[in-house]
Amino acid sequence: MLSYDYVKCSDLKQVFDVLQIHDHAYLLAGGTDLLVGMRGGKFAPRLLVDIKGLEELKVLKENAAGITIGAAVTLNQVAAFEPIVKSAAPLAAGAHSVGSYPIRNRATLAGNLCNASPAADTAAPLYSLAAVINLLGPDKQRSMPIGEFFLGPGKTALQNGELVHSILIPKPYPAGKGVYLKASRTGSVDLATVGVAVQSWGGKVRIAVGAVAPTPVRALAVEKAVNEGGEKDWTKVAKLVHDDISPITDLRGSREYRYHIAEVLVRRGLELTMGV
Amino acid sequence: MTKKVIVNFTVNGDHETREAEVGQTLLRFIREELHLTGTKEGCEIGECGACTVLLEGKPVNSCLVLAVELEGKELVTIEGLSKNGELDKLQQAFIDKFAFQCGYCTPGMIMAAKALLDRNPNPTDQDINVALSGNLCRCGAYQEIREAIKASAIK
Ligand code: FES
Ligand code: FES
Repeated sequence: MLSYDYVKCSDLKQVFDVLQIHDHAYLLAGGTDLLVGMRGGKFAPRLLVDIKGLEELKVLKENAAGITIGAAVTLNQVAAFEPIVKSAAPLAAGAHSVGSYPIRNRATLAGNLCNASPAADTAAPLYSLAAVINLLGPDKQRSMPIGEFFLGPGKTALQNGELVHSILIPKPYPAGKGVYLKASRTGSVDLATVGVAVQSWGGKVRIAVGAVAPTPVRALAVEKAVNEGGEKDWTKVAKLVHDDISPITDLRGSREYRYHIAEVLVRRGLELTMGV
Repeated sequence: MTKKVIVNFTVNGDHETREAEVGQTLLRFIREELHLTGTKEGCEIGECGACTVLLEGKPVNSCLVLAVELEGKELVTIEGLSKNGELDKLQQAFIDKFAFQCGYCTPGMIMAAKALLDRNPNPTDQDINVALSGNLCRCGAYQEIREAIKASAIK
């Protein structure tokens, strides 16, 4: 059995107070990565700070600013929320593709991001939707584009004592089609070997790719060729994804395979969002 | 010394107040404290689904939940499905369709399927595949499991 303390917080002030006094305190939301990591020895918390009960973090709403997803909102809630299904399709698809249905009943969007796997299925979709991450610390709040949040495998811009408060999909939403395409070894319950999110915005596209670099990356060369160069040959333009990725070989696939499948998924994504 | 916390909860319809050890998973708590051993341990890392139970009516992997998180919650395990000695019709359908061989995955399969039927009384094959994608059966009874779920859906 693992040995640590547990505290369930009822407001944010309590969370920050606890984080300030305790070293090795870990936030517990869904726990689906944390508990596995603890069992495997990756994390060794002395204190678990349960933030699931905080009303403020359960927010899932749409207003004039866009769609706000609080840190305690689960992936099943994200995948089923009507405004997300309607206006942020890559995110609905990415959230739905994580783990299994019971895991998604616990796992949160914020947790998927904080775990900072380059393969996180919700990350590439958020890049394609130009999402904003709202961070909160004991005395200040700051926001940043998702691209600045990921620093490397397992590393984020979160500072000590800070937490992800919510994620914003800003308005105006892209008036186009969006998809998330995932290649994995099994049809479900596997991380992405490569994941590609493509979102079109009235003749233009934004494309992000996961599991091909230390962080999710934008396929900027492809975007430029389509958005500025007016390129319409998707087979040709998809090859440009190679310029922005630097995949490694691991148990899910070789470097060469990832180059290949990234190109294939970008081409398919363009066909599905921009037409053949 | 392991710290203990008092938790109040409902299990299979009964209110309970128990001590749970901080650090104990809900799975271990169910098996070792509540002595409800129908819930099985397979991988303990959320990959096999043998430990599936309903928490607040939703299927979760009890190996990825802490016992202390049970406070104020409603828990249903496989033992909670039969009523007055009568099996739930989904359980009966598993028997009728021979939807298991060794039976180790069965409690988890049934709990995940039960939750599916609660939210979608007439699931398609695809709905079943998605809902049960986190439940592994090493004996490979998948086809019969799908049939049992469908049989119990239309009854
Ligand atoms: S024991 Fe919980 S999913 Fe395998
Ligand atoms: S019946 Fe043996 S694991 Fe499913």
